[in-house]
Order: sequence, then C-alpha cells, then structure tokens
Amino acid sequence: MGGLLVDEFELCYADYSLSSDQEAVRDAFADFFRHECPSERVRAAEPLGYDEKLWRQLADMGAASMGLPEQAGGDGAALVDLLLVAEEAGAALAPVPFVEHVAASRALASAVPGGLLADAATGRRILALAMEPAGTRSRQLVPGGAVARGVLALDGDTLALVEADEPPSPVANQGSTPLAWWNLAGGRRQRLAEGPSAEALYRRARAEWKLLTAAALTGLTERALGIAVEFAKTRETMGVPIGSLQGVSFPLADVAIGVSGARNMVRRAGWMLEHEPEEARPLVPAAFAYAARVATHGTTTAAHMQGGLGFTIEADASLYFLRAKGWSLLGGDPAEDVIAVADALAADYR
Amino acid sequence: MDFSRVRLDAEQQEFLGEVRAFVAEHVTEEVLAEERQTGSGFNARVHLALGEKGWIMPAWPAERGGAGLDPVRVQLLDLVTRRSGMPTVTLGTTRLVVKAVERYAEPGLAAEVLPGIAAGTVRCCLGYTEPDGGSDIAAAKTRAVSDGDEWVVNGSKIFTTGAQNCQYAFLITRTDPELPKHRGLTMFLVPLGSDGVEIQGIRTFGGERTNIVYYSDVRISDRYRLGGVNDGWTVLRGPLDEEHNFGQKGSAVQIGETSLGATYVYPLQRALDSALTWACTTTRPDGSRPVDDRSVRYRLGRVAMDLQAGLMTPGPMGRVKASDALVHGAAELMDLVGAAALLSEGSPGAEAGGPVEFAHRFAQGTATYGGTVEVFRQMIAQHVLGLPRPAYPGSKVLVSNKR
Repeated sequence: MGGLLVDEFELCYADYSLSSDQEAVRDAFADFFRHECPSERVRAAEPLGYDEKLWRQLADMGAASMGLPEQAGGDGAALVDLLLVAEEAGAALAPVPFVEHVAASRALASAVPGGLLADAATGRRILALAMEPAGTRSRQLVPGGAVARGVLALDGDTLALVEADEPPSPVANQGSTPLAWWNLAGGRRQRLAEGPSAEALYRRARAEWKLLTAAALTGLTERALGIAVEFAKTRETMGVPIGSLQGVSFPLADVAIGVSGARNMVRRAGWMLEHEPEEARPLVPAAFAYAARVATHGTTTAAHMQGGLGFTIEADASLYFLRAKGWSLLGGDPAEDVIAVADALAADYR
Repeated sequence: MDFSRVRLDAEQQEFLGEVRAFVAEHVTEEVLAEERQTGSGFNARVHLALGEKGWIMPAWPAERGGAGLDPVRVQLLDLVTRRSGMPTVTLGTTRLVVKAVERYAEPGLAAEVLPGIAAGTVRCCLGYTEPDGGSDIAAAKTRAVSDGDEWVVNGSKIFTTGAQNCQYAFLITRTDPELPKHRGLTMFLVPLGSDGVEIQGIRTFGGERTNIVYYSDVRISDRYRLGGVNDGWTVLRGPLDEEHNFGQKGSAVQIGETSLGATYVYPLQRALDSALTWACTTTRPDGSRPVDDRSVRYRLGRVAMDLQAGLMTPGPMGRVKASDALVHGAAELMDLVGAAALLSEGSPGAEAGGPVEFAHRFAQGTATYGGTVEVFRQMIAQHVLGLPRPAYPGSKVLVSNKR
C-alpha cells in the first residue's frame, strides 16, 4: 500500500534530525531574514510582493543557485536543504520568488544540462512554473509570473520555456504575491523535452514547487503562532493572562501540533522524493495538503486569538492570514492533492 | 535525516527471522481470538515464552534474565511483536515500573521482583487513577497510614488494567494530607495477593478489560515502599515522563515512528486497508466501484493524510494527533462503508467493515489512555509554547481533601 501498511514501512529509519551543515544553512538564512526582512519591509513591498533588493541580497547568499548542479554554477544542494531555506523565507513572509525560481530553474537544469541557465543561476533572470498544463487553458495565472521572464510549461507532450522580454502586468491578489496572467500558447518558446521525459520533468518540478510552498507555509504558520503566543502571554483578562485560559491555550496547542507534524511530513516527503521517489507518491501530496490545511487553520487561530486587534491590517497577524491562502491556492485546490493520495494508495489494490 | 530502509546485516536478518518465527509460533489465531474475546491485553503463555527468550527485558544481559539485545534488535523486536497484534498492555505497564524498582526499591525487594519480571512470572500494573480523580494523578486520596513496620492502605483505584494478571500494583498513595498536593504522596509496590485487595473487572466498548481495585485495610511491610515517605511524586515522575515522552531524547537509532501515538495508528491502518479493499473490489448496482467516485477517493485520501500526520507528528504532540486521526478517521470510514461497517468481525458480510467497526470503538479510548488529550494539550501549551500555567484552586493544594 504505497509504503503505508506493509511491515517494511516500519523497518525504516525515522531520523528527522538535521546535520550540522543543514543547521548552519537554516541558521544563516534565519539570521538573514530576521535582520533584512522585518514586517515593515513586507508591507513596503505590497501590493506587488516583490522586493528586488532583497531578492538580490538573497541571490548573493547563493539562494538562487544552491539547488542547481555544480556544472550549472550551483552547489548541488539537496531538496531538503532548499526546504529549510523556504521555511525561513515563509516565516519572514519574504517578498521574493524563491519557491518559483528554484522549482523552475532546477527543472530547466535537468532538462538542458549546461544551457539556458546563466542569468537564472544568479537570479538576474527570474523563472517561474505554470502550475497547470498549458493545453488546458491558453491563459493561466502564474505564481511569480509578474516578475518572471521565463515560464516553464508543459504543452501537450512538450516541456517548453516560454519567454518574454518583460513580465506581464501584475494582478492584485489576496496574498500580495507577484501573480500575472501568462499566455502560454503563444509567445517565444524553447523546447526543452518531449514525451515521457517532458512529463516526468514537469511532474517533478510541480512536486518540488508544492513541497517548497508547503515548507514556506509551515514557517509562516509557526511564526503566526509565535505572534499569537506572545500576545496571549501578556494580554490579561479578569486578572490572568489569556494564555492561561484553556479556551485560548488549547487552540494554540493544536496549531503547534499541526506545525510540528507538517514540518516532519514535508521534510520527509522531500527526502523521499530525492531518494525513493516511488515511495514518495502518496506522501508528497499528503504533505502539501496537510501543510495547506494547517496554514489556513493556524493563521485563522493566530489572528482570532488576538480578537479584534488580530483582524486589523495593522496587526502582523493579518499579513500571515492573507498569505496562508494566498500562497497555498496557487497550486490549485488542495482537494486534488488529497485525491492524489488516495490514487497512489488505491493503485496497489487494483 | 534518514528515512532509508534499514539494511540489516546477516546476523540482524537472522534475528528478525527469529522474531518472526516466535510470532508465528506463539501469537496464533487462537491467541488473537482470545484477546478479542477477553480484551485483557495479556496472554500468559505468550508472556512466559517471551520471558524464556529473555525478551521481556531484552536489553538486559543474560545473567539478569534478558537477552543482551542492542538498540536495533530491541526496536526490531518491538515492531514485529506489536505489529503481530500480540497483547502488550501488561508487558508495557510492567516495563514502566522496572526503572522505579531498580532505582528506589530496597535491595531485598529488587532481588525478589526483578528476576521474576524478566522471566515473566512477575507482572506489574499501574495504580494511579482514582474513581473521582480522572487524569489528575496527584490528587490521589487513597491513604497509606504508617503502623509500626507496616503501612495500612485504604482506598480505590480505577483503570488498573491487567490487575487480574499481575502480582504487584505500582500504587500512588496519600501519606500526608496536610502537605501541599504533590508533596504528601508515597509510592508502594503492593502485592496484589494481600488480604483486603479486591479486583473487579470493567469492560470498555473498545473491547478492553480493565479494573477497579479496592484496597481495604491492606497491610503491607515497609519494604514495599519505593523512595522516601512523601517523596512519591519524584518516584512517579520517571515512569510518567516516559509514558508522556517528555524530558527525554529519542534513542540514537530511530527505527519506526517518533510519534508517541504511533501505536494508535495501527488500528487505523488496518481499517483503511479494509476500506481501500472495499472501495476497489465492491461493485455497485450501476457497475461502478466506490473508488471510481472522486468523493470517495477524497474521503479515503483525507483519512490517509491524517494517518500519516499521526505517524509523523513528533513525541507528545503526535500522541494527540494520532488519537484525533484515529477518532475522526474511523468515524469517516464507517460512513463511507455504510451499514456493512456496523457488522461485527466474523459476521456474514462483515468483510468490508470488521476492522473499521473495531477501530471506531477502540479509537475513543486512545483519547484518554495515559492522560487525556486535554492533559497533553495543557502540557504542550505550557512546555512547548511557554504559555502560563492556569491558576486553579486545586493545582497546588489538595482542596478536595478538606471537604
């Protein structure tokens, strides 16, 4: 049953610990975002949701290239390492197209080793990923599409890089992310792969986008929780901190339960996708759908625990709430991922 | 980070084979059927066979009655035996008591008890909860009064699961009602054969047998005391923290899941397996199968997603998540399978629903075992999130005793 029920599942290591190198990566990016990306900077980048200087600083730290192979100018970082960066970016609500660019440029590097990447590795040319096959609709909303000059799309059985000299106009949206409509049927394009390999590359890129987004959502939810916890420790009612009331502390504990589970699921799915992709089939969509649900529930709870104040746009909780759906829905209805979990499992029963 | 399959060396493979052979020989259909019937969480023949192997305290050296197993083998043993459906409740409570006995029992008592535990002839149950106390263990009112070299115990304990198969109860008593709540407690290892001990069975709708145990003027020698007088909370905290998985790191080699509720997920795995089989093999009047319906796949996927979250949520948080996943997942699978899910295992037509029907009943207890999910949410709020402890009148003082 896709690794869920068989005995062997449990004769696996379940080691979620980070290596000292991974801890160093996480800490370096956590430091960077803490210093460079306070909520004022997130607000200043609205409504587009893109801070070019921050993106350049991030690229200078190697974030745009670390996940690329060494021959393409990268560090050959594991997907799990990229998830750590995405989690920190998510916690800070960083207005940068890290997820889109990493997912698309890694696919491009796999499709065309050694070519097309020069400006992408430095982050100067931002790439994005069309989340639906281009054939289904000629025009689609592309996450990061308002800052990208290249979009990776699957059109029929062709994986293509659709290019533009300038990104199309941004469209205003709930999560203040750089969304734009791209016409993927026309335009200048380069064919990258055909047939089954095109589809496999595209599927992998989508899976990586989903896991990176899920990691960002986990970081986002944990930080929103942290804000609510601080509020609950200091805000008093009837002579006691509201955080001592179980009507407040239990919902917050449930968010902590969700965050800790989503984080483990996402990291494990990332590890599995790289090392044992067959086994990852039910886990990747489950991790994404779970992280999306935890983010919606967690940011709703975090905002609500601050009462009317959490509902105001001055409260940072509002920034988190609006991005929980604003990011998770860019990959489509999470119910499709839930169905994909069942599909992966049911395959073993037919 | 590592989730690879454990590559066992030839000797470990051989050991795995030995465990599987043990399970095949001892955890028979009869044993499983008997367990379904009695719900006692214990089978004497299996337990003694484990003892003969040195597998009750498997990490202990052979001279102490163990098998000298390394951590990998201990975990292999644990996984394979638990997966087989082997009754393990009394095995688990006995092991929880061992550390307190090793650390706090006077040498004569330790020598009397520990070899028997390893051999399987001595079993221990937990005398924590009282009929009107629930999960608030420190509110214990069962009294132990000193009388010369003896103690006289009076009171009652509920949910002393396995008492009918055990020789000792790890009992928390109140020895000084004047002291603050957590300070006036003393632990004893009470021989259940003592005069004045009465064990009455209680059945749960999850199919388990547990007990209420009455202690009426039970006289026990002071040598059965564990730790200092009025220092019982210190003695209890070790096993309790282990049960709650707070304040300790996982072992160096982690095979299997870190969720404290991982075992709660097993019945849900069996139920989901059964529901998937039903969905993929049943034909509806219009010729379609349930799995062809997207709404059915969505509901199965939701259960599977939460099941995985239950396995992967770490430590005490996983205990809450796993219980929630089982409670909600089993109810959902009942609805999905329909009326056939109501049929008891073994009844005609129950193939689709047997494990689902069981999971739905069994699930409810998992929200209470070892402290309710609310107790755990409170611990998570305080110890993980650092939220202030609620200020209730009885949290430090035993107010109820002043009635």
